[in-house]
Amino acid sequence: MIKEDTRADVRERPRIGVYALTSCYGCQLMMATVSDILEVANVFDIRCFYMVSSASTMDEEVDIAFVEGSVSTEKDLKEILEIRKNCKTLVAMGACAVHGGVQSWAEGNLSYDEIYEEVYGDDKIDMPGLQAAPISQYVHVDYSLPGCPPEEDEIMYFLTTFLVGSFPEQKDYPVCAECRTTGNPCILIESNVPCLGSVTTAGCGARCITFNVPCIGCRGPVPHNTAWFDALATVFKKRGFTEEFVRARLKIFAAHNKNLDKMLKKAFGGDK
Amino acid sequence: MRYVKISRENTYMFLERLKDLGTLHAPQNISEKYYDFVEVDDVHSVIFEYNRTVRPPRRFFYPEKETMFKFNMEEVEEYPVEIQSERVILFGVHSCDIVGLRIIDATFLDEQPDPMYKKHRENGIIIGISCLPDEYCFCNVRRVEIVDAGFDLFFHEISDGFLVRVRSITGHKLIEPNLDLFEEEISKEDTDYIAEFEVKRRSMFSIQGNWDDLRYHLEWNMDHPMYVRESEKCLGCGNCTTTCPTCRCYDVKDIPNLDGKTGERVRFWDSCQFRTHGLVAGGHNFRPTKKDRFFNRYHCKNAYCQEVTTSYCVGCGRCTYFCPAEINFKQNLLEVRGEA
Amino acid sequence: MSNGESNIYELHQVRVLRVYDMSNIDKLFLFRFEDPIRARDWRFGPGQFVQVSLLGIGEVPISICSSARRVGFFELCIRNAGRVTSQIHKLKPGDLIGVRGPYGNGFPMDQFYNKDLLLVAAGLGMAPLRSIFLYALDNRWLFGNITIVNSAKYGKELLFQKELEAMKDIATAENIEIIQTVTRDPDFPGLHGRATAHMDKVNVDPNNCAVAMCGPPAMYRGMFEELVKRGFDRRYIFVTLERRMKCGVGKCGHCNIGTATSWKYACKDGPVFDYYDIISVPGLI
Repeated sequence: MIKEDTRADVRERPRIGVYALTSCYGCQLMMATVSDILEVANVFDIRCFYMVSSASTMDEEVDIAFVEGSVSTEKDLKEILEIRKNCKTLVAMGACAVHGGVQSWAEGNLSYDEIYEEVYGDDKIDMPGLQAAPISQYVHVDYSLPGCPPEEDEIMYFLTTFLVGSFPEQKDYPVCAECRTTGNPCILIESNVPCLGSVTTAGCGARCITFNVPCIGCRGPVPHNTAWFDALATVFKKRGFTEEFVRARLKIFAAHNKNLDKMLKKAFGGDK
Repeated sequence: MRYVKISRENTYMFLERLKDLGTLHAPQNISEKYYDFVEVDDVHSVIFEYNRTVRPPRRFFYPEKETMFKFNMEEVEEYPVEIQSERVILFGVHSCDIVGLRIIDATFLDEQPDPMYKKHRENGIIIGISCLPDEYCFCNVRRVEIVDAGFDLFFHEISDGFLVRVRSITGHKLIEPNLDLFEEEISKEDTDYIAEFEVKRRSMFSIQGNWDDLRYHLEWNMDHPMYVRESEKCLGCGNCTTTCPTCRCYDVKDIPNLDGKTGERVRFWDSCQFRTHGLVAGGHNFRPTKKDRFFNRYHCKNAYCQEVTTSYCVGCGRCTYFCPAEINFKQNLLEVRGEA
Repeated sequence: MSNGESNIYELHQVRVLRVYDMSNIDKLFLFRFEDPIRARDWRFGPGQFVQVSLLGIGEVPISICSSARRVGFFELCIRNAGRVTSQIHKLKPGDLIGVRGPYGNGFPMDQFYNKDLLLVAAGLGMAPLRSIFLYALDNRWLFGNITIVNSAKYGKELLFQKELEAMKDIATAENIEIIQTVTRDPDFPGLHGRATAHMDKVNVDPNNCAVAMCGPPAMYRGMFEELVKRGFDRRYIFVTLERRMKCGVGKCGHCNIGTATSWKYACKDGPVFDYYDIISVPGLI
């Protein structure tokens, strides 16, 4: 569509880097094992992706950086600042990078020192730590690719939209939409299980619910303040779930959401 | 209208034969409480008495995700996708859902027909079935409890089987090669049974009368406190719209391939309950709040569809039945109408 | 598509002939259909829009801003405001893209004949109104006096400012009044204030005048009040509305407007609505 000179920069392979902060490396693994990985390696110039190439270097300039993991150590912080400096476009990849991940569960309840004491007692560790946080807390994030791990079709969609010079469209509707179109019964209504599908970003095709397992929100809250924790908490309350239970469950993947506590308070009334 | 009669046992046989004509879908249990139109393997798993399916029949003609065309960005060319022309037979469609399809026809088969929907619909056979309402049903006030169009055959329950109304040429053609299963002689007893069934059915609806004036009540009470109160409860999950037999909004997305040249344009069901539905370039949103989006659905569903001479809501009850927040559409409308 | 039937989603190739910078965020594109038959026969009305496709990126609705009388090419004034338009801004002469349309009802030009014309634009609203304005110039004998009011927040966002300025030479001879005004730019050398502030400068007769407006809803509300006060015939006051549109043919549902008694699709029933539509249907503006 766009000819001559601009075609040239389409031909020039976009440089990508895939980096991990504190995480399980599952997102990278997902990306490394997409069925078209060989073709991905052909059309992109992969400068950094330790899981697929030992020739990787962290400090090279790239066009697009995919970062998984939360900022949980001083080292993570140093690295994410460096990555941001070295890339044009930064993609937060996966639950940890986008929302802080399960390691953020204690956010708002325990301080770093309290968590440290709980885990290590009086022991000393080499790596100075930080309260786990999504990378957006420290650097500007251009696009978010949620999921624990992200889905293959979404990884490919991100890659190919960048490839053609565009950018990915964010999903901003909940899992329920996919759950109904998949043809699942609503297990929250039918079996009274605490399903978080209605506040969780779609994209997984309601995988867990399809296997009769309630959604625990691994893809993170629906963006743009449209995760209605208050309405869902009210439903749960009516169905006999306690505030502690609901809070704990929502905190697994949404601990850093600024609406969460406010909305839970609204639903359950009073402080905690 | 032509009527024929079939026993329950022969109905299973008829279903067995329908399977040879295309893919047969009929209501079956998908969980303890819920039903869906599922492709029929064992005809004995088909349920004749069910309340409602999770997914409305529109998905067979308007799939939740569909490739509009494939393209080549360099050549600026689009390539049509060969639309699968396999015949789809829907057995056991309730009258509300039949009208639901006609409402979608009104939009998708207007003077600028949607080519994909048209093709799918032309390959569809609709076989209706009579039903008794539960507390969620209100097709009667929508005046669609009896349908005269939009189906090929309609199975009315009688004591020992079904009395079948034959509506279309396709319907006649389904009967003709299977006359060994049907009786052409119908008795006064049979039609009396249907008449009585209808009387019984009518008395079972939780509300009576008609809602022809409802859209005016909605207009006269646009600032009714119901909207604020009920939208507060709303999860914004879109269950009401994805299960609605007449919702038809779609969004479009281009998905490029790894060669950086080719790709496909897909459309997928959208919902007015989602944030981006009213969002335009530059960031302005015409329905910025949850209440705005909630209000939008109440008005859209109660608007008048001229082509079908009904409201866009057919009273199937799905939006209430499948609402995790237990927002009761019927009750809320009654409240606006001053009857709650 | 080649299945014999017309396909409402079928794109037609158009080639970019010229690109002009209009402001730091707006560009004017001149297009011609690749198919010579289509280039020759394609017609549209002022106020109609097309769906512009960049395959692989997406599709956007854009008002046509050239004169409906000039055939063989058409012009679109496009603001860089999103995924698709940012890519459109990278187009150069010679590039090919896809277009379908025209869509929408457009302005009822036949009702405008033998009347004075008052065109009021705010911001990007100048694009569809330019189509009427040029149409009127190309058919000067069909219309009475003409006033065009072009307004924007800042001088640099005043679309077609130079074009309109250049026309002032012949404007007097043609009984055309051109008013260009800015609302938030103290350094702008011309007029200041909203369109409503300049209604004393118009050369049209309120009793026999068609009004076409394009801008934000707040501008419509202010102008309605002003026009009614000045005795303009309400039957001939028209506005054009913006909504999210994906299909352009009343299918995708995003542009729905109104209430239960008056449900409409902006793409099909509009985007042009008259004064009485606006006061009858809540939520239009």
